[in-house]
Amino acid sequence: MTRTFHFARRCFGTVISMGSLAGCVQQSPAIAGRANFASTQGTQASADQILLGRALVLNHDCAGCHGGASPQSVDWLAGRKTPAQGEFLIGPCALTPGATPCFRTMARNLTPDNATGLGRFSERQIFNALRYGLRVEDTPDVDITSGTPGVGNFPTHPRYIAPPMPWPGWRYMSDKELYSIAAYLKHAVKPAINKVPDSEGPPDFWASVYTVDNIGPYPPPAFPAASERIPQ
Amino acid sequence: MLVVLLTTTPGMQAMTQHASSARSVATAPTAPTLSNPPVLKNISSKTGTVEVTITAAPARLELVPGKLTDVYAYNGSVPGPTLEAHEGDRVIIHFRNNLPEASTIHCHGVHLPAAMDGSPFGLIPAGGHFDYEFTIKRGTAGTYWYHPHPDVRSEYQVAMGLFGALIVRANDDPIAAIPERLLILSDNRFRPDGAIDFPDSNSVQAEVDEENGREGNVLFVNGHIMPTLSIRSGEVQRWRVINASPSRIYRLAIPGQTLVQVASDDGLLEHPVEMKDILLANSERVELLVRGTGPPSSQTELQTLPYDRYMPQTRPPNWNATHSLVTLRYSDAPPMPPVAVPAVLRVIPALDTMKAAATQVIVMSQGLINGRMMDMNRVDVHATLGTTEIWQLENVVGMDHPFHLHGFQFQVLDRNGVPEKFRSWKDVVNVPKHESVRFIVQYTDFPGKWMFHCHILAHEDHGMMGVLEVQ
Repeated sequence: MTRTFHFARRCFGTVISMGSLAGCVQQSPAIAGRANFASTQGTQASADQILLGRALVLNHDCAGCHGGASPQSVDWLAGRKTPAQGEFLIGPCALTPGATPCFRTMARNLTPDNATGLGRFSERQIFNALRYGLRVEDTPDVDITSGTPGVGNFPTHPRYIAPPMPWPGWRYMSDKELYSIAAYLKHAVKPAINKVPDSEGPPDFWASVYTVDNIGPYPPPAFPAASERIPQ
Repeated sequence: MLVVLLTTTPGMQAMTQHASSARSVATAPTAPTLSNPPVLKNISSKTGTVEVTITAAPARLELVPGKLTDVYAYNGSVPGPTLEAHEGDRVIIHFRNNLPEASTIHCHGVHLPAAMDGSPFGLIPAGGHFDYEFTIKRGTAGTYWYHPHPDVRSEYQVAMGLFGALIVRANDDPIAAIPERLLILSDNRFRPDGAIDFPDSNSVQAEVDEENGREGNVLFVNGHIMPTLSIRSGEVQRWRVINASPSRIYRLAIPGQTLVQVASDDGLLEHPVEMKDILLANSERVELLVRGTGPPSSQTELQTLPYDRYMPQTRPPNWNATHSLVTLRYSDAPPMPPVAVPAVLRVIPALDTMKAAATQVIVMSQGLINGRMMDMNRVDVHATLGTTEIWQLENVVGMDHPFHLHGFQFQVLDRNGVPEKFRSWKDVVNVPKHESVRFIVQYTDFPGKWMFHCHILAHEDHGMMGVLEVQ
């Protein structure tokens, strides 16, 4: 099995065959109803934080892959339900049926259900997943001190979230924004029981693909970088 | 006492015969006969004392036909010799470590003082020696095993050949009259020259082994490849089965018949339980009654059925293959009359959940327990001697993790909230991917520091282990 895989960083890439086009179609933003914050009582999440998280989840179209047309939907962020919804083929097979390698990626259940969703994971682990691309169960519940494998407390053999999850771009959101997403998912979404099969992938969990050369550094270089200029 | 009759009906075994006829290669006449490892010689003349010498040392043995393999061996054999004792016996093991590295003897599952546990806290250096000495608690007769337990090097040393059976017998064993067999399951990988095959550290195989643990493609029973075990039609045999593989989980079955489980890790169940197949995770033991349901001169086999313990990323391509372990060959003798087996094997008092002083939540992710790697200088769980606790094991990753607690035998309460079907004493429980298990344990005696860990030895070596201190 080769360890070089070609995939796009965005869902518009040419080698990702989507079971559904939903992930590539910008959905109409749901009309925000009057927020009910009863579910956040007893947590540290503020109303502003929850609303910011909700807005980011909506305008980043998380539901495009993870399920639900709007927060009104019963399957809101509940993850892959069928091969046609929330399942992707990654690798040459996306273009040529039967070609290998071929990995099936499943959009996970992002609701706070304890057994099948994110319920067992802390907001910091969700933050680490979004910032560093580490699978939520494969990031320790600590503040990560580096983005380079083996440096600081970043795992030596990181296990990355499978494509097409666009974390390489979304990691540039601010700490506040990412923690707001985590707070919204943990406290303001109703748990939905949906056991999603584990995503497939290469044995290195995409480590040879998600290199700085391929996805750029975090944090980004100072402005202006080589291909940028100060407006005249 | 009530009895159930294990009757045999040879005429009904068409499936068994059919299954066996398809395996002419594996059951060629040259197949070895299953034999037991030697039993350790008791050098004590005192009644109630079992005193043995176990030396771990490099050796060169023929593990696969026609090849010599450099191994580590206990007293020169792989598996090592069997330690046999009775409940209440004083056991003295004179251990000599003639290996080029530190090692221990961990009597897996046996309830003994912490200093005698052979854990990483009790390393015996290369060239060193140590006398393990303990008394076997009454009521704990069962099938145990011993293996080395150094930090970081357990998988390597077990893969090199260091493991052996430890059988504790009871004077009041209700099924002692049933003929007995010992089956120690292990696996290994070899290079063409016969050397044990460990992957290069930068290879894809090394990555896969780090995730899955190192699985072998050659399956052994008592060190034999696909041995033949003889049984008479109508006979009932008691098999003591030990999973000594560092990583492989077995799903045991005999085509065309059910198995009767009579014991788990730490001794007899309350009642015999009929099973289609039996999952045996790393370091688990099971005792089975195998019924000779086939006609004279026929044969069948013990198999391990596919079981998906793996993450998709590192799942072996042949994971869904069935593997043959043992040929079960029926003698020419006419069928025996039915054999009586007690319906009640013993009483296992339930540990009372109302008396649980605390619940320890143990989250297992890949290579970590509660987000941390093993640190010998840290205590992860504190407990008070004499108390009872519930341990809640949560596996948050897509791979099974068999969890082992040293020193104290426990009772599984439920799995994913579903109450355990029958009560038993255990010391290891498999926690399947994304699932949870609760068990209850009482720290009856023996204060000290005890290990708990994933028994996929590669995971244990990488730090998926913690320390319980009982004070």
